[in-house]
Amino acid sequence: MNASATRRFSKTLRSRSVSARCEHREIISEKNPSVNAFVNVSPRPASLRKGPLSGLTIAVKDNIATTTLPTTCSSDMLRDFVSPFDATVIRLLQESGADIIGKTNLDEFGMGSLNVNSIHGPVRNPFDPSSTLEGRSAGGSSGGSAAAVAAGMCNAALGTDTGGSVRLPASYCGVFGLKPSYGLISRWGVVSYADSLDCVGILASELNTMQRVFNSVAKYDSMDPTSAPTEIRLSASNFASKVMSSKGTTLNGLRIGIPQEYFPKEVSPDILDRVRGVVTQLKERGATIIPVSLPSTSYALSAYYVLASAEASSNLARYDGVQYGSYVKPGLDTDKTKTAQIYARSRATGFGPEVQKRILLGTYALSADAFDNYFLQAQRIRQVIKDDFNRIFRIPNYFSDSPCHPNEISPTIDVLLHPSAIRTAPLLTESRSNLNSYVQDVLTVPASLAGLPALSVPIPGPLGNVGGGSSHSWPIGISIVGQWGTDDMVLAIGKALEDLNKT
Amino acid sequence: MHRRRIVRSLGSPFVARLFQCRAFHDAREYKEDKRWPGWQVVVGIETHAQIKSRRKLFSHAPNAGPDDAPNTHVVPFDAAFPGTLPRLNPKCVDLGLRTALALNCSINRRSTFDRKHYFYSDLPSGYQITQQYSPLAMNGALQVDVPEAEPITVRIKQIQLEQDTAKSTFDARTQTSRIDLNRAGAGLMEIVSEPDIRSPEEAGAYVRTLQAMLRAMGASDGNMEQGSMRCDVNVSVAPVGAPLGTRCEIKNLNSIKFMMAAITHEAHRQIELLTSLTAASGSEPVQPPPSVPQETRGFDEHSFTTFRLRTKEDAPDYRYMPDPNLGVVHISEDRIAAIRETLPALPQHTRARLLTRYPSARPAGLDVLLAVDSGNAVGWDGEAGGGAVGWFEAVCSGGDGSRDAGIVLNWLTHELLGQLAERNVPFSQNTISTAQFGELIDLVSGKVITGTSGKFLLRHMLAHPSNRPTREVAEELELIALAPSNGGRMSASARLAHTPATSSASSSSPHLPTPQPTATPELHALCAAAVAALPREAAALRAGHTNVLNKLVGHVMRASRGRADALAVRAALEEIICSANS
Repeated sequence: MNASATRRFSKTLRSRSVSARCEHREIISEKNPSVNAFVNVSPRPASLRKGPLSGLTIAVKDNIATTTLPTTCSSDMLRDFVSPFDATVIRLLQESGADIIGKTNLDEFGMGSLNVNSIHGPVRNPFDPSSTLEGRSAGGSSGGSAAAVAAGMCNAALGTDTGGSVRLPASYCGVFGLKPSYGLISRWGVVSYADSLDCVGILASELNTMQRVFNSVAKYDSMDPTSAPTEIRLSASNFASKVMSSKGTTLNGLRIGIPQEYFPKEVSPDILDRVRGVVTQLKERGATIIPVSLPSTSYALSAYYVLASAEASSNLARYDGVQYGSYVKPGLDTDKTKTAQIYARSRATGFGPEVQKRILLGTYALSADAFDNYFLQAQRIRQVIKDDFNRIFRIPNYFSDSPCHPNEISPTIDVLLHPSAIRTAPLLTESRSNLNSYVQDVLTVPASLAGLPALSVPIPGPLGNVGGGSSHSWPIGISIVGQWGTDDMVLAIGKALEDLNKT
Repeated sequence: MHRRRIVRSLGSPFVARLFQCRAFHDAREYKEDKRWPGWQVVVGIETHAQIKSRRKLFSHAPNAGPDDAPNTHVVPFDAAFPGTLPRLNPKCVDLGLRTALALNCSINRRSTFDRKHYFYSDLPSGYQITQQYSPLAMNGALQVDVPEAEPITVRIKQIQLEQDTAKSTFDARTQTSRIDLNRAGAGLMEIVSEPDIRSPEEAGAYVRTLQAMLRAMGASDGNMEQGSMRCDVNVSVAPVGAPLGTRCEIKNLNSIKFMMAAITHEAHRQIELLTSLTAASGSEPVQPPPSVPQETRGFDEHSFTTFRLRTKEDAPDYRYMPDPNLGVVHISEDRIAAIRETLPALPQHTRARLLTRYPSARPAGLDVLLAVDSGNAVGWDGEAGGGAVGWFEAVCSGGDGSRDAGIVLNWLTHELLGQLAERNVPFSQNTISTAQFGELIDLVSGKVITGTSGKFLLRHMLAHPSNRPTREVAEELELIALAPSNGGRMSASARLAHTPATSSASSSSPHLPTPQPTATPELHALCAAAVAALPREAAALRAGHTNVLNKLVGHVMRASRGRADALAVRAALEEIICSANS
């Protein structure tokens, strides 16, 4: 790795941690007009509880229910919606003493990879404030949360990750982004996009902050039927800590798998270079690098879009202009004998084009004629992908309904390592016309389908490798993916990588 | 022990399997029906019964009653607020399992929930959570006694748990629909029968039997009038010996009478249609034979006819999807065993048991008792609620254990139920304890108070609920009998008008609690006072006009406020008159 780039990067990090101590609300009022990360900022609280998160400001994605601020989901349907209850994560943050500083922009209902599908307008990537000629995407759908952290507007932020919505913007904005194991953080109060995939995630500029926030919110919640019971959490984390404590340091003796399918031709060459650099560093610290294969990876993206869209079409049925959203009267020529026609106009008006597209796709996938070939087929693929992962990990999957035992023949691993995205942050102008925006999720959806913990670690870029005349090189992310429930191990490895970057 | 017998008598799994293997038309022997000779009417019924749980199926909102104000039993989940998630109420599953065991179903060890999608204003989330792909239980059977016919066995295809919808009422004046979310998300049990029913009468008997079973299990109130039970019926007709005809479904029938009328009308309609189609096609053999178009129909309660709601072509695609939040419901052997252990008895078994155990109880009285119990024998969430039968047995076994069950039953069914009905209080809200009621019967049986006083005392205790012993209340009201009667039990015709005593009257006269001979002087004094107060009648009696005796007796009874025994009064009066004569 280029030494001067590393220095420059750590200098950026240091300056950011300085700004973190400043008044975040002032930074928001200064920077938000250009970044557009926040859609609502809370007034400075008169008093806060004392707790493990005392002194931290935390931004919350605007699809997580709050009683004091609206929860718009960046949709016209919920433009004025204020929830009558707080999400469990909000309660936990408040009980831990955090200052919930505001709500952040997102792609409508979490659907998008670039945070451009929003009634609040697109989020602008704050990584390179000097670049005035071009605006780059912060990534999505938790673009506001990632940008808020990257711009130093808060210490940490909550996002949600359905297929990569925390990891992708974290990668584009140069911050840490964790999608925890499915079921570790309560979804009560998180507006559903696709329940079987939705996870509350954490974004932070420092790993210690992320760990503190994670410790406060990863709690069993009886209000969430998919919340993992405490005994399963303990089984998985005990196994992981046994593995970790058997080694001298975090990295020494760590078995890191490099999945060959995660380096498709779409991955840009400079990203490959930087990943190689990190792998070399890890080897030097005593980690064992093992090439592995997850053969079903290529089916993951299509299975993901079928399942996520199907669930979305179901979850978004309530936004019909009668229960939620404004009612738009059907036209005079409408056949009012069909109930559906009464709702069609409201839904065609209240939802943005991307949401409409996914609802239509999902509705089709669930229709009687398509169900077997689309929905059921995608569910089968999802199981095959889970089996792929369960075969290669040293630790068994405690959350799985039918635990798959690791293959005795092939070598097993502790974590996987791969690039978080195929590229760096795209231009906002580019994103509008880019048909390939779905492809950006290709590296993040497998962990979502399998419910595994995945952490995107920011890696500094080399000099002079950015188009558009910018003098900075844009950050990339490297993902550490672990077996279900090994979030603490994944975070510990993230910490080790953070320390490597600082030196 | 009797519980095990019940389960077995519902039909062994072997019998159920036997039925499954056979084609439907082999299961029942054809019997000609005079209304449609030469035709076979085939009926299957889907029953939706509201589960008698305290809380809704997936939320902690309490279930509402029919009289509750609209939108008062609602939590954010019921209104489909964004960010809410379902949480399965295990009590609903338990009541579903009870029903499954009572219907001798096989219980799925792993059942799942699915979403059924459609847009309607009474469905806030845009989908109903139900069990499409893997229901709670399957393949059961119900024995049905049909009036004036052989009993039949109706196979149960499946039992599934699902959410009820909200209630929507259209206000014609304002041209608006009003939505009441009290019912939204309440737990329903859908019980689907196989097409084993052959007539409207069998259908009526099936639903009545199912209703009684559900009530006995405490699974549902099964009240069709109040909407806690609704039926959809599938009707098809075919010439005798021909394969099954195309069925039409008649939706949302809310009384057994309407259901039977709907089946009758539908059978006639389909037969007429097929007859006219066959006639139109001439004498040539038709390929394929004419069929009734598959439709979903409604029932008009005024004209007693069915009407088309939608054809097969308009049938909505419900886009069933496994619910991604609820996961698999695992039912363990232990749980099933525990449910089986606490399975309440079915009404016909309770009746047989009571007849054997209490030979002095009249069967007609027991039927009254069992009728009281329907829907109340078991409380919310399947908890033992006591019910009228339990209450009756507690009274019988109370005291020194020598209470006559026949007398207890008479007092319960005639006096207690009668007075509760007058007060418009259901038995479940009766405030008299079994100990108080038993003591009351003991006081009457032991002649400590008269039967008339007993009835008055019961009325007073219902009006002024307390936990005081009955005797104490009786003494306070000065109801202790003035003299022991040496005759038989006071006849019902001996009921005499009396002034109700007020509790304030008691403080003025401290009455000795000992009821035995010491009361005689007082009775004597009362009789003497009556003779003095009615000199003309006394003279008439002395002259041998015995018919005026009743007037004198009545006077004494009034003065004693019911405490005196009419026979004793009569004797005392005769004694006074006679002694005056001599």
